[in-house]
Amino acid sequence: MEILMAWRNVWRNPRRTILTILAIAFACLVLIFMLSVQVGTYEVMINASVKTRTGHIQVIKKGYNKDHKIRQVVSDPESIAKILDQTPHVTAHTFRANAFALLSSDLRTCAGLITGVDPERESKISNIVHTMRKGRFLKPSDTNTAVLGALLAKNLKVNVGDEVVALGSAMDGSVAATVLKVAGIFSSGMDDYDRSAIQIPLPHFQEVFYMENAVHEVVVTCDSLWHVSRVKESLAAALHPKPPAEPTGQDADQGLVCLSWDELTPGLIQSIQMDLGGGLIFYAILLVMVAFSIMNTFVMAVFERTRELGTLLAIGAGPGRLSKMLVLESAFLTLWGITLGILAGCVLTFWFQHTGIPLGGAEGMLKQYGIPGLIRPRLTLATALSGPALVFIITTLTALYPALKVRRLTPVDAMRAV
Amino acid sequence: MKKLILIPGLILVLFSTTAFSAQPDAKAIIAQAWDYMRGRTSVSEVRMTVHRADWERTSVIKAWTRGLEDSIFQIISPKKDKGNGTLKIGRDMWTYNPKINRVVKIPPSMMSQSWMGSDFSNNDLSKADTILNDYTHEIVGTTRSDGFTVYEIRSLPKPEAPVVWGMQTLKIREDGILLEQAFYDEDMKAVKIMDTSGIVEMDGRPFPEKWTMRSMDADSKEDYTLLEYRNLKFDVPLADHLFTLNALKKTQR
Repeated sequence: MEILMAWRNVWRNPRRTILTILAIAFACLVLIFMLSVQVGTYEVMINASVKTRTGHIQVIKKGYNKDHKIRQVVSDPESIAKILDQTPHVTAHTFRANAFALLSSDLRTCAGLITGVDPERESKISNIVHTMRKGRFLKPSDTNTAVLGALLAKNLKVNVGDEVVALGSAMDGSVAATVLKVAGIFSSGMDDYDRSAIQIPLPHFQEVFYMENAVHEVVVTCDSLWHVSRVKESLAAALHPKPPAEPTGQDADQGLVCLSWDELTPGLIQSIQMDLGGGLIFYAILLVMVAFSIMNTFVMAVFERTRELGTLLAIGAGPGRLSKMLVLESAFLTLWGITLGILAGCVLTFWFQHTGIPLGGAEGMLKQYGIPGLIRPRLTLATALSGPALVFIITTLTALYPALKVRRLTPVDAMRAV
Repeated sequence: MKKLILIPGLILVLFSTTAFSAQPDAKAIIAQAWDYMRGRTSVSEVRMTVHRADWERTSVIKAWTRGLEDSIFQIISPKKDKGNGTLKIGRDMWTYNPKINRVVKIPPSMMSQSWMGSDFSNNDLSKADTILNDYTHEIVGTTRSDGFTVYEIRSLPKPEAPVVWGMQTLKIREDGILLEQAFYDEDMKAVKIMDTSGIVEMDGRPFPEKWTMRSMDADSKEDYTLLEYRNLKFDVPLADHLFTLNALKKTQR
């Protein structure tokens, strides 16, 4: 009975009803789209950092990400590589070794971070290859060849073809020294990296720093950010087999840990949280505006029908039934609006997910740093439903106000009202 | 030669007499200790052991010093590092590697880094005399050890002094032997503590054979660097050209 009455009441003023539904739908659409864009942007940010620096997952000696001591090594990286070859969702992996060293050109001396990389496999993971400004990236046949960050090159006053002397401490504590020929200069866009980083072929690094076959990081990339935790779990399980079977000597568990990008670069996740915080304020304002406009509609609907409601009360409808009717009316509007909003929002987001949103003028600049000039919104269950869910809660709460107010009406006064 | 030993001896006598009558000057005690340890010139052979919880490495270093300002170190063993050297003139430092045959000047930004992988920093070597010029000193107590008075001195940096420490404390025996030197940060937390032990007769004067530097912020309490003097000669005439970049490139004897 109430359902039928509510349904009829809703369609008594079709124009107003449609406008209200559209308002709710629009709010949902905006929320879905904005959230998806934000998530898509974070994905771009994360991928940029992952591609220049960390990779999605790293296998390292426990504590290496904090102390960066040269002795904290992965001594048998090949066995981990074998595990990785069989792990699903892993797209590429490579080895790296790092050491802080004194870098010296004819004119200047400064401190830097030398990284030994596997030229061939590195180019599948890192986008340093695509950010070369001068010269070329390392080749597998290179020995004492280096590529270095643009700011470091500027500090040392070196150019392609010049020599750089590196002096540091080898893994056994002896003095490590080598003369490197600059083959290329890169500019990753991350200033602190470009100011200190110098990359040399891994075999030469291992020779100079007496590392034998050891490395510091096994870097892994996955086919998607969303598979990182799954890959990490299976990798960790493979590294630390649960029953410590037969003690097979030095392989498997060497105090190694598996860390994902967010554990490796805590700063990145913090800046994302900050941005998300700012976004939440925007959404809150949007929700409050939607709430007021819906409340306005509902309150008007009750006011202009005061006489009618009074009549209903007079002919025996209890205030509870009236409230129920009004709540049902608002529920109709809200559900229609949300359904429409989710549909439209998903279609719009999905469309842009396919075409991407060009970033206009910034495109060229971003491309230089290996970031694609397109931002693709990322539609997930969370981004599609969390916004509409909030709209639902807010509209239901605001609709309660007139629904409760109607309980205080007395038939005689109500019928006399204009 | 005799005269040179006489001078610190004279100061010694002076101090041992004044110690009982009046509070001696803290700065003079430090100056005397530094002179005592370094002499006018010195030639020494030191075994350096860098100890870590899971690892240890020993090398032998030959060192020549002239006053407090100039010194030159050369590694003579292990073979892998033989010929690596460090030259210090005033506050400038250079390092030489024979494998690549290059001399590299250590930039100011690297002065607080570890020297040859040890718990000593480049600053510890190059700014050894900074305590005399950049700090104000105060005797905070005296104790007795092996029949000697030991002065405990607290040194605070002068307001504008270019130093890295917030405070240093020293324990110096009245005959000029440094027993302990502790380095504190601005929060007055001990960062590094060096102590000496095994006082034996070396080149005619008592001298601590073992010098141990411990970094307090290391993960393990076992981490330390031990210097053991195996051979020490004071006030040897040294040629001026010993303290040059050319000398750094040659193996000295």
